[in-house]
Amino acid sequence: MAGREGVPAGSQLPEASTISEEFLRQLTAVGEVDILVGVPTFNNRDTIERVVSALQVGLTKYFQRERCVLINPDGGSTDGTPEIFKNASVRDFGLLLTSNPLRTFHRVSAPYHGIPGKETALRTLFTAADLLRAKACAIVSPDSLSITPEWVDSLIRPIYRENFDFVAPVYQRRKFDGLLVRGLVSPVVAALYGCKIRELVGPDWGLSGRLACHFLGKDVWEEDITTFGLEVWMTTTAIVDGFRICESFLGPKIQAAKQYGQDVAGTVRQVVGALFRCLDTHEEFWKTRGAPEALPLYGFPYDVALEPIPFSKRGIMDTFRAQVDQLMPILESILTPQTLVEIRNMERLSTREFDYPSELWVKTIYEFAAAHHRSVINRDHLLQALPPLYRGWVSSFVFRNQKADAANIDQKLEALGHDFENLKSYLIDRWSAEAGGER
Amino acid sequence: MATDALWYKDAVIYELHVRAFYDADGDGVGEFRGLTLKLEYLQELGVSAIWLLPFYPSPLRDDGYDISDYTGIHPAYGTIDDFRMFLDEAHRRNIRVITELVLNHTSDQHPWFQEARSSRDNPRRDWYVWSDTIERYKKARIIFTDTELSNWAWDPVSKSYYWHRFFSHQPDLNYDNPVVREAIWGVMKFWFEMGVDGLRLDAVPYLVEREDTACENLPETHDVLKFLRSRVDAHFPGKMLLAEANQWPREVREYFGDGDECQMAFHFPLMPRMFMAIKLEDRKPIVDILQQTPDIPGNCQWGIFLRNHDELTLEMVTDEERDYMYDEFAREMRAKINVGIRRRLAPLMEGDRRRIELMNGLLMSMPGSPIIYYGDEIGMGDNIYLGDRNGVRTPMQWNGGWNAGFSGADPEQLYSPIISNPVYGYQAVNAESQRRYDHSLLSWMKRLIGLRKKTRALGRGTMELLAPPNHHVIAYMRALGGERILVVGNLSSQAQAAELDLRQWKGSIPIEMSGGNLFPPIGDLPYLLTLGSYEFYWFRLRRL
Amino acid sequence: MKGVVLQNLNQTLGRFYGMLLQFLPHVLAMLIIFLAGWVVAIIVKIIARRLMALARVNSLSEGTGLTQILKKADLPAPLDLLSQLVFWVVWVAFLLLGLDALNVTELHVQISRLFQVLPEIFVALIILFLGLLAANFFSRAALLAAVNANLPSARVVSGFVRFLIILLTIAMALEQLALARRTVLITFTIAFGAIMLSLAIAFGVGGRNVAQAMLERMFLPTRAKKEEEEKEKAEEIPPL
Repeated sequence: MAGREGVPAGSQLPEASTISEEFLRQLTAVGEVDILVGVPTFNNRDTIERVVSALQVGLTKYFQRERCVLINPDGGSTDGTPEIFKNASVRDFGLLLTSNPLRTFHRVSAPYHGIPGKETALRTLFTAADLLRAKACAIVSPDSLSITPEWVDSLIRPIYRENFDFVAPVYQRRKFDGLLVRGLVSPVVAALYGCKIRELVGPDWGLSGRLACHFLGKDVWEEDITTFGLEVWMTTTAIVDGFRICESFLGPKIQAAKQYGQDVAGTVRQVVGALFRCLDTHEEFWKTRGAPEALPLYGFPYDVALEPIPFSKRGIMDTFRAQVDQLMPILESILTPQTLVEIRNMERLSTREFDYPSELWVKTIYEFAAAHHRSVINRDHLLQALPPLYRGWVSSFVFRNQKADAANIDQKLEALGHDFENLKSYLIDRWSAEAGGER
Repeated sequence: MATDALWYKDAVIYELHVRAFYDADGDGVGEFRGLTLKLEYLQELGVSAIWLLPFYPSPLRDDGYDISDYTGIHPAYGTIDDFRMFLDEAHRRNIRVITELVLNHTSDQHPWFQEARSSRDNPRRDWYVWSDTIERYKKARIIFTDTELSNWAWDPVSKSYYWHRFFSHQPDLNYDNPVVREAIWGVMKFWFEMGVDGLRLDAVPYLVEREDTACENLPETHDVLKFLRSRVDAHFPGKMLLAEANQWPREVREYFGDGDECQMAFHFPLMPRMFMAIKLEDRKPIVDILQQTPDIPGNCQWGIFLRNHDELTLEMVTDEERDYMYDEFAREMRAKINVGIRRRLAPLMEGDRRRIELMNGLLMSMPGSPIIYYGDEIGMGDNIYLGDRNGVRTPMQWNGGWNAGFSGADPEQLYSPIISNPVYGYQAVNAESQRRYDHSLLSWMKRLIGLRKKTRALGRGTMELLAPPNHHVIAYMRALGGERILVVGNLSSQAQAAELDLRQWKGSIPIEMSGGNLFPPIGDLPYLLTLGSYEFYWFRLRRL
Repeated sequence: MKGVVLQNLNQTLGRFYGMLLQFLPHVLAMLIIFLAGWVVAIIVKIIARRLMALARVNSLSEGTGLTQILKKADLPAPLDLLSQLVFWVVWVAFLLLGLDALNVTELHVQISRLFQVLPEIFVALIILFLGLLAANFFSRAALLAAVNANLPSARVVSGFVRFLIILLTIAMALEQLALARRTVLITFTIAFGAIMLSLAIAFGVGGRNVAQAMLERMFLPTRAKKEEEEKEKAEEIPPL
């Protein structure tokens, strides 16, 4: 049996499989597919029906002749999500300006084996993509309130028709939304890996069957990896292993209940921890990588007025001061004396004057990355020491740009990206510095 | 001939054109004497009825569907005595004969029209539909879109317009005129008295026109049919009327009436969906249309077919489905005509024997009486470079010799060139060479037809669609009385496994009908079958 | 008279000389043992240093923050400290061995007793070291957790955790040395119990509302979750 080009046939099925027998039986009935769309769920009864309908219409409208399957690896929902998934249907295709589907619409829903979590769900989807020899896959978040049938085209078309391997989403964000990604993760990846990806943590992706099989064959599944960790790993691995990447505009990003928790400290730990671990793994790659290049962008970007996020000014500032103060002994092990002095000075500023300069922020992150690499203190403790500084930078950025519009903010973030690029050599120096000596 | 009023429910019908079948007198055109000589071949094949395309006197501008004399025989095909002889011989071999009744229109050369057009006061004037303007019946669509621009044609003789749903040289008869109905009844009586067993009513939806309608399927049309049927039942019980109505199943259902209109009607929408299903490798198109097919009266029967003398019509499909069919089956522009594809079965199946067998296996087991188009039993090819639909009406290929054994005439004299390419040409594809070998398509078709005739449930039984999780596989149960026939077909080019829920027949033993071998008995668990590429099974379920 | 004195002197000197002659070999042996011990101690120190470097004691200690604390107390780095300790332990052992060579019975007995206690001392020192490592690690973890959970007195919590672990470590070390076992046990139990009781009272009475909130979160998730969400909404910008 011939496999996909470059992929040995049947080599990727893991021994400790996440695919249950029931799942396998349903996959057998589906047979080979051209397009696989995965929607991992866990208690998403409020939003799943809309998501499934949008996907069904999208597949019918844009890929009517292709063999498609919608797969739902479920993490053990107790609210009836899998049943809603199976029964959600489009009543009248005519109203949606598309005719009835040519082919049987396949839906597979089954619980997966293993620790409940998106990482296991993704592994299940990649295994399914391998078994069904899917040419193009899309992974869609089950709680996207802003999903439209066009997302199917946006995520799949670049892969199916243009031969890309990885499609990263581009969302229209609210003004200060997602600053962890836009102000830290993306600029670091752009500066170091040479690839400007705006959304590194999805949660909606497109990827080729080739790439899914490639991911499946990696060791990361045996490690204790978290959801966000996996997504950062996926993106950086795709860059490092030379896969063709592009971006695709999906529209506004509005999600239902914060499925993965917007607990800032926990999120920062997970995401930044994953990023730093990737820097360790890919050291040889990024040290010699050149200036970042923009990726092709598919879709027609547009602006929609989105309600701004509410937050409390005073609250964030006070928190920052208190936290940084208490963590000084730990920060002393991580940051250089110069950086530490600047942070102390910043702490003493009033709320109105408060400013976390871009360059200081970049140095903070790079020093953290280097300290993480050298394990100057326990790595998990190191990552836990970052959230307060992150909050400080966010406060500063938000205060300074309160009146700016979304375009201006994008420009500011673009400038921040340049700072990260310019200080890359600083990171390389810090990376290999002897412990204790230079401080 | 055995008398069974419902003989058409068990029939296996063979559609042919007398012109294309066999030329005995060497003039390059087949005729009834030639056809009579080939009845033995048809008897061996096992068909139980022949449907003859029009053989009446005609200017032949629409392949005989433009009739200029309803009760004659076109001189090229012989005489009325030749026809009688053919009819008697066919009956002697237990083969019934169905002929055409083109009742919607005549040729403009027909004496009726010649008289009607001669003046506005002529007694036959009202036999046709006239108008001084073309503003009437504006909602009626044009059927022959490739050649006609309007349903009205100008008659320079009587200086008015006449109505024609088909070619402009085929004026429509006016069925609002009771005299016309009687005249047509006279034609039917003529042929039934001679011994013809059934009449195919051509273009039956278009008989009557009314303003502000599409002029199709009108209630008045059904009244005409009821009238004709009542006469047939009264005078010629056991004779069959077959409606040609290219409509959706629920509209065709009307042509059965309450069992008081036509006994048979073609199921047009099923045919393209069988082709679509085999290309998509998905049973959905077939299942959808069968689920939309309404029940019909107990004395009625669907006529099902894969191909016929016309183009593979794509009128009864969605735009997306039509585009898909064109892209997959008619890559050359020349293969498209009107709203369809003018190709034969074998080229549409790319000469793949397994696909041809699968399509026939499904055809012979679906609810309805199957109609085989002449030449498809040996896998004949087509010629898309001939005009109109003539590419699928080429001479029958009997052997690899002179003119494929069709005629002793000069090849240039033949009414149509013979298919001669290396793949489908007469030297590669002909009845004689296939007759000699057991493994040929012809031999296989004979066996299949034999099985079909022995199995009443396939003609008269109910149908229950099964839904195995594997959508590449189609499965259904035919049942009549205690007879149960399970049909399972793999629409995919790759091997498939299918699990069938057969619990309601638990305890039965499936016996594969072509070989007679026993398969494991049905139990509580899903019945697992594996099928090779395009493979199908017919199982008879036997209870011990 | 002069002769008697001279004779006594001679006899005494003679006896002294004899005693000295008898004692000198022992002293020599003792000195040799001292010298040998010094050399061995240096060698063992070097070996121990290498082994500890292999075991990455320095990074372990840095990782838990012990190095910083030692630095603050003007003590050398753990590796140096430990290897120095090993040197002294080995040399002291040889010193004791040397003293034993003097063959003084009383000394003999005491030295044997000392040698018997030596392994216990070792273990106690290891317990202390590990305890200090653990105290640092967990107190830092507590500090970080408390800071990230926005507790106002994170340092207090951290200090408290360190204190508790050190207390436990000392008690274990003393237990190991079998010094005032019962006293230590009782003291420790009282101290630990008192601390726990006061914590419980402080939480249950003084922190009534917090306790209520925690219980609600456990048993009435939706309401508590909603309130939490509202609170979060008001204060935090979602990072993703």
